[in-house]
Amino acid sequence: MTAPIAAPDVRTDESTALDHPWKVIVWDDPINLMSYVTFVFRKVFGYSEEKANRLMMEVHVEGRSVVASGSREKAELDVFRLHEHGLWATMEQDS
Amino acid sequence: MPLNFQRRFRWKGGQVIVNLSDDEQQILANVLPQLRELVMAETDPVLRRLSPVARPDDDEAETGYREMVDNDLLRSRLEAIETVEAGIGGTALDGEGVSAWMHSLNALRLVLGERLDVEILGNDALQNLSDDDDRVGVVALYEWLGWLLEQLVVAAMNGLEEGDS
Repeated sequence: MTAPIAAPDVRTDESTALDHPWKVIVWDDPINLMSYVTFVFRKVFGYSEEKANRLMMEVHVEGRSVVASGSREKAELDVFRLHEHGLWATMEQDS
Repeated sequence: MPLNFQRRFRWKGGQVIVNLSDDEQQILANVLPQLRELVMAETDPVLRRLSPVARPDDDEAETGYREMVDNDLLRSRLEAIETVEAGIGGTALDGEGVSAWMHSLNALRLVLGERLDVEILGNDALQNLSDDDDRVGVVALYEWLGWLLEQLVVAAMNGLEEGDS
């Protein structure tokens, strides 16, 4: 699988707020298979089966789950990989 | 055991072995070019499902994000389709091959699911279409892709390292 060639994004309005990490959120959808979503969490994030399954169930039951957090660059890469797998992912800054 | 009941994907020697029936090979060979065309045209609204908004809170940031990733996402999708096409007749997949198959099978499901309005109808309603409904064939294709993807997930799970977090 190819990794995105992520040109460093120098717009500063967000990157100055270093204190606030970014959250990667996955939203529930009626199409993706539960087993597939769990698999993707394990593969993309290296989570244990137990953790991946818990996050998948959270998406399924609560409608969304924060599946990862970190720098903006990391969040962008995570979202990219989740989109590549066909999951419905967004990112937002922790406030 | 009749071929129809054999697994289409199985784990063997650190790889996933692909073994589709002739009919299934033909179906995939038929729908993958359509997926390629759809992805390349970049105009169909159904593509929003394949490339969803990453930054719903910030239009400007969303534009920047799209500029950064869209080409990579497109290239990744096209390469994945190519990988699947090359292996339809039977192959052994490494990790990258597994990803390509997963991405493509799931993209097909997403496109068909959107077309079928799964969100509106609900999965249960799709099961109960009358026989003369022209969506019946698409539903069968959609469910077959789900059945395939499920098997691929089960086979590929053998290749995942157990994480520690």
